[in-house]
Parts: sequence; C-alpha cells; structure tokens
Amino acid sequence: MEHEIKEIKKGIKFHTLNTDKFKTNLFAIFLTTKLNRENVTKNALISMLLRRGSKTMKTQEEISKKMEELYGASFDCGLDKTGDNQVLKFYIEGINDKYIPEHNENILKTVIESLLDIVFNPYVENEGFKKEYLEQEKNNIKQRIEGKIDNKARYSLERAIEEMFKNEPYGLYKFGYEEDLESINEKDLYKYYNELINSCKIDIFLSGNLSDDVEKIIEENENIKKLQEREPNFEMPKIPEKKEVKENVVTKSMDVSQGKLVIGLNVNIDNDEEKYTTLMYNSILGGSANSKLFQNVREKAHLAYVASSSYYRFKSIIFINSGIEISNYDKALEVIKQQIEDMKKGNFSEEDIENSKKGIIAAINTIDDEQDTGITYYFGQELSGSNVSEEDYIKKIENITKENIVDIANKVQINTIYFLKD
Amino acid sequence: MQIIENLKVKEKLYIEKFANGLTVMIIPKPGMKKKYMIWGTNYGSNDNKFIVPGEQEVTEVPNGVAHFLEHKLFEQEDGTNSLDTLTALGVNANAYTTNDHTAYLFECTDNFYEAMDELMDYVQHPYFTDENVEKEKGIIGQEIRMYDDYPDWRVYFNTLTAMYHENPIKIDITGTIETISKIDKDILYKCYNTFYHPSNMAIVISGDFKPEDILEEVKKRLVENKPSGEIKRIYPDEEESIVKPEIVQKLEVSNPIYTIGIKDVRKENQSKSETVKKALSMEILLNLIFGRSSKLYQALYKDGIIYGEPSLDYEFGKNYAHVLITGMSSNPREVYKAFKERVEELKNNGINKEDFERLKKMIYGSYVKEYNDVQDIARMFLSDYFKGICSFDYLEEIEGINVEYLNQVLKDVFKEDKMVLSIVENG
Repeated sequence: MEHEIKEIKKGIKFHTLNTDKFKTNLFAIFLTTKLNRENVTKNALISMLLRRGSKTMKTQEEISKKMEELYGASFDCGLDKTGDNQVLKFYIEGINDKYIPEHNENILKTVIESLLDIVFNPYVENEGFKKEYLEQEKNNIKQRIEGKIDNKARYSLERAIEEMFKNEPYGLYKFGYEEDLESINEKDLYKYYNELINSCKIDIFLSGNLSDDVEKIIEENENIKKLQEREPNFEMPKIPEKKEVKENVVTKSMDVSQGKLVIGLNVNIDNDEEKYTTLMYNSILGGSANSKLFQNVREKAHLAYVASSSYYRFKSIIFINSGIEISNYDKALEVIKQQIEDMKKGNFSEEDIENSKKGIIAAINTIDDEQDTGITYYFGQELSGSNVSEEDYIKKIENITKENIVDIANKVQINTIYFLKD
Repeated sequence: MQIIENLKVKEKLYIEKFANGLTVMIIPKPGMKKKYMIWGTNYGSNDNKFIVPGEQEVTEVPNGVAHFLEHKLFEQEDGTNSLDTLTALGVNANAYTTNDHTAYLFECTDNFYEAMDELMDYVQHPYFTDENVEKEKGIIGQEIRMYDDYPDWRVYFNTLTAMYHENPIKIDITGTIETISKIDKDILYKCYNTFYHPSNMAIVISGDFKPEDILEEVKKRLVENKPSGEIKRIYPDEEESIVKPEIVQKLEVSNPIYTIGIKDVRKENQSKSETVKKALSMEILLNLIFGRSSKLYQALYKDGIIYGEPSLDYEFGKNYAHVLITGMSSNPREVYKAFKERVEELKNNGINKEDFERLKKMIYGSYVKEYNDVQDIARMFLSDYFKGICSFDYLEEIEGINVEYLNQVLKDVFKEDKMVLSIVENG
C-alpha cells in the first residue's frame, strides 16, 4: 500500500492509501483541535449537529436516503480524545464500482462530495445552526453524558482517567458537560464552528482503489476552496513531566454484581524512543494471553475472566483492567502488584520477550490489510509528528532488549487505583 | 474439490468433504498478509438433550456445557495451554460458543502452519481432569458475572425468555453459576465424544493460499476416526404463542434500554433458497420500518424519544427465528406503540416501491462489504454452513425479491400477538 501526503493548504493535508485489496473505498475527514474545558462540549455538539443536514442535503433523512441509494454507503461519525486533543471524525465507506451490478455510477466521487458537504457546508438558518436540530442534539449529548454509567467497566476506566488527570485537559470527558448546554445557542455555536473549521488541523484520508482524478476532485471542491490556510491549533504529544505521585485509592458503590478494578500507571519515559519499549513492557505485563496478568490473575489464581492492560502512548500511561468477585479485592490487588514488582526485578524470560515481539510485529503486518487500521496508523503518525514506516517500526521492536524493558519497568508508578463495587 | 465462483464479489469458494465427514472450505485472498483459520463443530448451548450414536437412552446435561468445553479444550496433557502456545507464535487465537456452534480459530501473518499444528492438535486431543475442571469454574463464574452487569445482554436474554416457553435458545450460553457447578470431566468427555466427530464439524480457511496445498496440509493433521452414526438431538416442542407480552428488569442505567421481539415460526423443510430470501426480506423490511431513513425513526428522533438508531436483527437457526429491535429510549412503551402503528399502516397501504428498491441496493452493498476481511469471510461461511446455507447465496437471491413477496412476509411475521417488549430500567 502506498501512503502519500499532500498539503492542500497550510494545515490541511490529503492522505491517500492506494490499494486494490478491498471491495470498498473509505473516505475520512478528521478535525483535530486542542482539548479544553471551554470548548469541549461545543465540539461534541458540533460533531453531532453536522450529521443532521447540509445546505444540499437538508435533513438526516435526505442524507440517509442518499447513502442507501449508493448501495449502502455507510456514513459514520466519531468523537475521540487523542492525547490533549479532541478529534471529530467523519467517515463514508462506499462500495467500489467494480462490485455493483451496473458500472455506470461513480460512487467514489459522490462519496467524497457528500462528506465534504456534510462537514464543511452545514445547514444554516438566520446565521445560526437550525434551532430545532441544536435542541435535539443537546438532548442527545445529555443522554451520552448520563449514559457514562451504563457500561460499568468502561465507566470505571473513565473515572480512573478523571482521577489521574484532575484539572488537566486529558481528564475531560469527551462528550462534555451537562451544565454547559443551557447557555449554548445556535448563533454563537455557528460562529464558533466557523472559528473551529478555520483553525483546527484537518486531515483527509482516502483508502481504496483510487482513480487518478481524486486529488483534483478534492482540490477543486468548492467547500475545500473556501477553507483558509491556518497554523493548526492542536497539541503534539510531549514527554510528560515527572512528578512524585502517591497512590490514590478511590472506591465507589453502584448496583453491580462484579467488582471492576482499574489501576492507572504512569510511565515516566525520557524520550520518544522509549515508547516502543513501553509497548513491549505492556505486552508482557498484560497485553496478551501469555502476559503476567492473564497467567497469574486468571489462570493461576482464578480470580478473573478479564485481566489485561492497555497502553495509551499519547499520554504515556497504562491501565490495568480486571473484573473480580468483590470480596477478592485485596487478593487481586496483591497479585497484580506482584506482577508490577516482578517486572521491575526482571522476573520474565527471554521467551516472554520473543513472544511479545512476534505478537506486536504480527499486528504491524496487518495494518495494510484493514482499511480503517491503515488510516488510524497514519493519522497517529501525523498527530505525533513522526514518520516511521512499518518496516522501521518492526526494526525498532526487534532491537529491544531485556535491559531496556527492565529500565522502563523501573519508571512505572502506580498513580490511581479505582474500584467499583456494590 | 468443488469450486463455486461468485461473479458479483469476484471470489471463489473451494469446498471438499473428506471420507470421515469433515467439510473444508477455502476462500483464497491473494495479496492479503492476514490468514485466518476456524474450526467449528455444530454443537452449541441449544444441544443439551440428545442420544449418543449407538446408545438407546437420552442424555441430558446441565446448561453451559458447550461453552465450558470451549474453555477446557485448550488444556493439554503435558501441562501446557494451547492458547499460550498459539500466542507465543505471534498469532491471535480465540474461541467462541453460540447457540448452535462452537468454534476455535486463529488469525496470523506468519507461522500459519505451526499454528495449524497446534489448533488441530488441541481440538482433537481433549484432556480433562477433576482439578482443571474445578479451576475453570472460578474463571467462568466471573465471565457470567461480567454479563450480569451488561444491560444490553440482559435485555436480550429477557426478550428470549418472554418469547420462548421451552426452546433452549432462551438459555444463557454460559449457563449459570448453579448449572456449571454440576459439570464434571465425565460430562465433558461424553459431550466431546458425541459432538466433536469430523462428520459434525467444518473448517474454513481464508488467506493467500493455493487451495490444493492447504487441503493436503489439513489432511495430514487429521487423526483417524471411526465413522459415527447420527446424533439424535432432542428439542422440546415449542408453542407458537409467546410467554408474556412484557418483561422488565431493574439495573443501574442512565436511560431505559428496550428490545422489541417478534417470534417467528420456522417452517419445517424450508428450502435453502427460501431461507435466504426470507432473511434478506426481513433485513429490507426492518430497515424500511425503523432504519435511519424511515419515517418512524425520524419522528421518534425528533421528539427526543429515541437517541440513536436501534439495532435491527433477524436471527434464525434450525428451530427458531425471531426479530430483535434494540435501542435506548426515554419511553420504550411509546416506541413500541409507534412501532406497532407503523407496521399496521404499512400492512394496509403496502410498501412503497421506491423505498424498497433503495433498501434492496443497501442490503446488497452490506453483503459485498463482508468480503474485505479474512476474519469476516471465514466466520460468515462457517456460521452459514451450519445453517445449511452458502454465504454467496445472499448475493444471488436478493435479485429475486420483489414488493409482493415483501408485503407477504410483512403480513406473515409482524403479528401483534407474537410481539414482546423487554425493558431494562433504573430502579
């Protein structure tokens, strides 16, 4: 797969991933902006509002009918928190013309134009968003915010993040805050939308079997033409400041039948290269079925069905997750802490290292085989300002030694222990 | 080896049945680095009562055995665990249990044949001891508790309970903590020996392979098996009526979650083509009634009664079929009422031709998309196979569906006395 980047205007990049492996073409637009308390709810609202209609497709019904007509092109939106940024994501996946019964349509062109229209040409009345749409989406956001409690494992993780990043951007909830909603009106929000659209970082991705004219379709699109050049307002990941932390233990009661235990770890790395080693560290600690957590918490102590850890490289943190019998809290915590200690002492084998390398390299090798994974990989690179090819990535992983991993293990600190119980 | 080519998605299926009864299906994906292998047995949580080939009396086992077996099969006599061995090869290994099948699988880029060695070895060599069976009860117990805390899972199973009197489809796949406490190694061996015979199993492989080569590789790794007689599965008779029209569970949730269930009758001896056409028609109908572009969805969304699109499913197996519409709402009873009114309106006025043509295109596209990924392909072919369907049939049969047929299905399935409402709400 070839990945090419073209800067259309300052701050606006067009990425193509040309490949004939798929039945579909995937077109995506990502708007990246700094995460802050002032704008977090507004950004979330905008991401929901844009789905409601554009100047050419005024209602959600019209958009949906158009997508259905294109052999079920799927239009999707997402809202992410990536490092200290909020990312508004918009996708349309359309069938490649080769696989539809009549070959006389140009689905890709319609897909591109429709999504650009939805994101950059929203439906406006009296210099504001449509009031009715805004009120409905406020209601929707309110439900999303309240809905945080529905998935108890996810909720515990969100709460642990909030505890770890109190008063910091990353501690904000990506859907925003209920108390902000009342004071937001359709005119101010539209004004804010125009500021956002002309200051955020814009990345446009197209993956699939692409014709030569796609670049022209994009560059000559009226919606693209009217966008201004910008010094994109986003946050590159930084090496986190080292601070002494004291273990913060938080427990909360809810109507649950299983206890959800989340442990947040700081990894106090000194440079970007150590991120690769941290990935290895996480893999051995809790990243697979061979990991220390899975083996010891689940297979040996039979305390859990889920016992794993995940690495958030943009913030250099790791979260350990486990679902346990509530009365087993002390026992589980002891076993988990023991694994963290064992990592520090180097109590893992060369075989563990080799196995983890194989697992990570296999994951890198599949990037080209999944359209959305490909886009996510290159967007991650874009946001961190790096340009590491898949081959180089693999080399970096291969070169990691036990010593490197033990070194990282000794930079790991428990920050927060969050326990949800009955 | 039989070859079935589909010109719409431009893919080929190679299919072979070995003398011992095992079916192997291969869908080559040239140029893909990812490779996927899945081995399934036609045995799931529904199969709790059966007659072992060669025996006279009926065997009845506790709920949750198929899933328990899935967990235990990874255990090896030399003390190793096959999940660890596979993970160590850098492959992504897993297993799952449904109501009608259990499957063991891995996905990889390298070490395919080493992983195949391990997969085919552990599935063919069970090793259960009193000790390793007891240990698993703690782990599965936590899996059961995890599901108890998922409102989506609860609302789903409650719907089945409201629809079905006796049908085992309503049983939780994992069993309960009480039923799994009764499972021992003898029960596991008995079920293994009955259902893990090649004639009851199928393998699907997808990736950049030559079909002839891969078939030889599979053959080499098969252990010899005596031919086995037919397994007689005993399913209780199920009345056509529902059990109760409404079921409510209290859990800590932000907003009520609802499922509208419609119990359908699975016709005996329905042809393969008829089954596929029916399923496709149900997908078109459900989108027509409650999909993103539907009048009903638009109205309820505008009024703030629903927040997002509901999921729309038509599930079916050998002896059951039902509709499930699931979503979140401030007022599920209002959604239910509006849904029933819309159904009546459509029955009276008939389906709009334009809507029909548009949604038919959409459903066609959704099947094409399934052919992007080796995992989606392999899983789809396996699960359709156990339903007696070749996955390509969906792409072919959709052309033959017309408005008259759809109107008929609408009248046959969407009957008010077959509908139930399941709610999970705060309290």
